[in-house]
Amino acid sequence: MSLPADQELIEQWRGEPAPLLPLLHAFHDRDGYLSDHALRLIAPALGIPLADLYGTVTFYHHFARDPRRTQDAPRVCTGPVCRLHGGEELLAALAHEGATAMPCAGRCDDPVPVLRGHEVLIGASPATMTAPPPRLPSPNPGGREECIFAEIRTPDRATLAGYERTGGYAGLTRALDEMTPQAVIRHVRESGLAGRGGAGFPTGVKWRAVADAEGQPKYVICNADEGEPGCFKDRVILDFDPHAVIEGMLIAAYATGARAGFIYLRYEYPQSQVILERAIEEAYAAGYLGEHILDSGFHFDIYIRRGAGAYICGEETALLNSLEGKHPFPRNRPPYPVTHGFEGKPTAVNNVETLAAVPQILRREPSWYQNLGLGDIAGTKIISLSGDVQRPGNYEVPFGLPLQTLLYDWAGGPLPGRTIQAATMAGLSGGFLAGDDLDVTLDEPGVRSKGSFLGAGGIMVFDDRRDMRAVTHNAIAFFAHESCGKCFPCRIGTQRLTERLNGGGPADAAAWHAEVADIAFTMKETSACGLGMAAPAVVESFVRYFPDQVAGKR
Amino acid sequence: MNETEQIELTLTLDGELVTFTLGETLYEVAQRYGREIPTLCYDPRLEAFGACRLCMVDVQGTRNPVASCTTVAQLDTVVHTESERLARHRRTLLEMVASENGGAVSVDPLRGYASQELGLLIERCDARTDRFAGAHSGTSKLDDANPFILRDYDRCISCYRCVRVCAEQEGDYAISIANRGFQTQIVTEFDHDLRDSACTFCGQCVQTCPTGALADRKALRNA
Repeated sequence: MSLPADQELIEQWRGEPAPLLPLLHAFHDRDGYLSDHALRLIAPALGIPLADLYGTVTFYHHFARDPRRTQDAPRVCTGPVCRLHGGEELLAALAHEGATAMPCAGRCDDPVPVLRGHEVLIGASPATMTAPPPRLPSPNPGGREECIFAEIRTPDRATLAGYERTGGYAGLTRALDEMTPQAVIRHVRESGLAGRGGAGFPTGVKWRAVADAEGQPKYVICNADEGEPGCFKDRVILDFDPHAVIEGMLIAAYATGARAGFIYLRYEYPQSQVILERAIEEAYAAGYLGEHILDSGFHFDIYIRRGAGAYICGEETALLNSLEGKHPFPRNRPPYPVTHGFEGKPTAVNNVETLAAVPQILRREPSWYQNLGLGDIAGTKIISLSGDVQRPGNYEVPFGLPLQTLLYDWAGGPLPGRTIQAATMAGLSGGFLAGDDLDVTLDEPGVRSKGSFLGAGGIMVFDDRRDMRAVTHNAIAFFAHESCGKCFPCRIGTQRLTERLNGGGPADAAAWHAEVADIAFTMKETSACGLGMAAPAVVESFVRYFPDQVAGKR
Repeated sequence: MNETEQIELTLTLDGELVTFTLGETLYEVAQRYGREIPTLCYDPRLEAFGACRLCMVDVQGTRNPVASCTTVAQLDTVVHTESERLARHRRTLLEMVASENGGAVSVDPLRGYASQELGLLIERCDARTDRFAGAHSGTSKLDDANPFILRDYDRCISCYRCVRVCAEQEGDYAISIANRGFQTQIVTEFDHDLRDSACTFCGQCVQTCPTGALADRKALRNA
């Protein structure tokens, strides 16, 4: 089979919405890297200045620019948990193949993932690397009623037939047949559903703002750029319940008046893309997508756009710039995406988990979802639990569940003979909890009362064997690696904190602490987006909980 | 326009009731009333960018200070342009900037019109130049053989005023931002010399650079 010619690729994508990323991927897939020649063709075709395109391509770490080190060169996860399972050693063992390190690739329950082109393998050594086994969430250990995972374990749930058999598209059907867009928004607002990507903004309020905003067309975007270290919940939803995400987007579109939507999927999930593409195809064939959906006057199209390796693109305004083919810096806010989103139009950006909850809620009454929470907070949260526990994995917990219940009763506690030294919150962004502060309920008010936050719900556990200074150094190095470089406090602060956790900074202890405290204070209060505001938490919590390790290893 | 003129828009600036026009930013309002809020990424000819964070001001009712250059003035807000907290942030930010610049804050004024900005601010805000020692961010391209523009990026602080003036004022789009975070560099397409790029040597980038990282080679030669 002959490879497509340059012009064919350009013609395939030039007229499509958000064409830059797919066009870059098309050349990247064909040639194995992005050549100067390709960029010289793409820039005029899409009306992007060549210098801008060159700069933007270098922002994304998965785009190979060197024909000697193509996209097939292995990318080895050296995230916080994979480091505990030989990520660095695997990287060294694959050095002869041109392997490079990648940040957390979202398989903390199955270390160590290696990405080779469009293939994901897992293993701790080159000899044992295999395709990852399908890893469904285990049955809820607490016997709690679930929302997102309620049907995910039923056979063939990922297919349209299996999905329809287990209540699939009943929420959409109910919305279209019986409810006005306003009624859908009211229903979702009353359920108490809030953003599960970490920000926790009430979903119904967001949709109301998009519905009320001036400007057409409107958009729904599924943020599937799950880049937070220690988080792998969105991948499981996409892989085993893709139609739930599609149905959630459809309901969001009906409620807000959107005509088109995007799924912005992180580069590290190529298998999820295949699964999603198949599901979207099935949905079109069955009349759930496209024009006159279920014979109504409602039309909606979904496009998948694959990221290229940049954590910041999970920040919704950087995501929008990325989709638009611009340099993926976050935007200044206000205005917010609900009024000025994709191409300046009203846009609802929702996380995968949030969208997957919507069909379940629409099938039932708002109070059902409300009451899933144990305390004042409505609903459930998926926790990606990994690291030094007996049974890592994704758990759907009711808000208000004690962390200790999750760690010990649900996940089996630490490995034999070990004790838990620390656990991260919000993946990595919430820093560590340790000691008595592990006595906390899993909900935002609870975790915030300990100076952290629950966020996207990743929890990585480190037992008493672990060198917390090394863990902290790698954590802050991640934020430095992913800082976009726009605002000064984050660009310089993440770098300086990384150096200070690696033996750098003043030799005098008081001066070292003063520098770290000043950097952290200014980053938290003056950074332009959440990355810079949250990044110091790992360092501050390390200094707070482990003063001995600070003094001993600095 | 008459309508907006009739409704008097006011806010409280450092305890003083002041008027503003619709769409004005807090920075613009403060400047009109004689406040000298420090900035590094700001150039009045360019779209507000919000990168250096030096222009942060306190707005009553918000937890964190806000960047005055990107914050549009709202009716009845209570704004403070000076406070102990703001002074601390500004000092820390300037000290961090000085650290990436190797403390090279004394700059030949012949380098360019704005070249003294960083040095003057460090002096004014009592910032030290010996804190936060660590890696250097920019890498000079002194071998770019063009006769007009010296590219001394060892002094670059990544404010991107050069990139933005090239795009927004000149429409040349000759330079852009490569890499990310602390690895960021100012580059032409494929990181070639300026002569092999879309650069027209208008010199706008030189004149907006606040650190002398870009300099007028002719002026330096004639000195």
